[in-house]
Amino acid sequence: MLLTVEKEVQNVITILKVKGLIDITTTNIIDPYLEEIDGMETVILDFSGLEFIDSTGIGSIMNAIYLSNEKNFTLKLQGIDEMTHTVFEMVGLYEILEAFHGEVI
Amino acid sequence: MYKDGMTGIHHNNTGESADMDKTLKREINMARNIQSQLLNGKPPVFEGGEVLGSSVPARLIGGDYFDFYPLLNGKIRIVIGDVMGKGIPAAMLMILTRGAFRSAAETTSSPADTLTSMNQALYSDLRTLKSFVTLLCADWDPSTFTLTYANAGHNLPLYIKGKESIVEEMPKVKGIMVGGLPDQVYTNYTIQLHEKDAIFFYTDGIVEAQNNEKEQYKLDRLIQTLIENKQKCVGEIEQSVMESIEKFTEGAPQRDDITMVLLKISDQQAEITSLNSPLIK
Repeated sequence: MLLTVEKEVQNVITILKVKGLIDITTTNIIDPYLEEIDGMETVILDFSGLEFIDSTGIGSIMNAIYLSNEKNFTLKLQGIDEMTHTVFEMVGLYEILEAFHGEVI
Repeated sequence: MYKDGMTGIHHNNTGESADMDKTLKREINMARNIQSQLLNGKPPVFEGGEVLGSSVPARLIGGDYFDFYPLLNGKIRIVIGDVMGKGIPAAMLMILTRGAFRSAAETTSSPADTLTSMNQALYSDLRTLKSFVTLLCADWDPSTFTLTYANAGHNLPLYIKGKESIVEEMPKVKGIMVGGLPDQVYTNYTIQLHEKDAIFFYTDGIVEAQNNEKEQYKLDRLIQTLIENKQKCVGEIEQSVMESIEKFTEGAPQRDDITMVLLKISDQQAEITSLNSPLIK
């Protein structure tokens, strides 16, 4: 499997741990996890196991940010390595996250 | 028997299915030709330098974009961009981006204003379609040798210094992707170029090209290739980069669109010398 998502729910917090690649071939695996979130106060996306993300993958993270606004939860990103950080910073993902009251932990 | 999701028509023989495949293939090839012709128009000709762009889609058609727009004041506006995703959906948004650039370039006075205007025009559609595009826009002024640029979440171009063996990223200019947030105001940054200098604009498909061992081409290899070939003309530099990527990937499937734009300033001294040389008959 190119991407696996491990879901952990603790009361009103959902943690999604991604492992592998988030690209055009795998966003259909992570997107349903994001779409089905309901009644949560916080969603943590854990990228500790992320090996590569492409522009379609960044589109999925942006969708998660917009969903946080629609479904009223705080999105937190964690476990971002240097390479992914460089990409997120370059495209301006952190500014969008901040604009929708999310944060990097 | 299957149900065609697009039309709701039920097909019950393979002949119709084969016809549909054929039609689809023909239309994709026509779309490829349209995109290729729009991308590969004649690059502008100007005194004191040369410019060239090329794009190789990973699939039949792609989402990368570059364009040149000669301005009335003698400057050349250059843009390079990467639409989220690949294939037909990305290609459709690439055409939308091209329209927005051509219209903005006509009416705006700087690269930053062009990006601001493009974000204004495209934000709503891109948000609806859950997509975005990274863009870098630059004005080359042949009369002052200055390059003014603004960035909307794209890779920084590489500055190839003509008189030294140095290739480095151009100074960072912040700006988020087009389609990310509404009402973005982008900023300009200007650098002074010199004779024989060149600028290499590119999309991430180059540095993220993978070989069969899943290793990436990376920025270091690109910089080394540019240093080794910097004395060549833009067409030859472009060819050298493509050959270097092909050699590295050893036939592994191309994962992402590959696009580059090269701007090179002439060796003015050499041009004057050649103009003054006596004609040999």
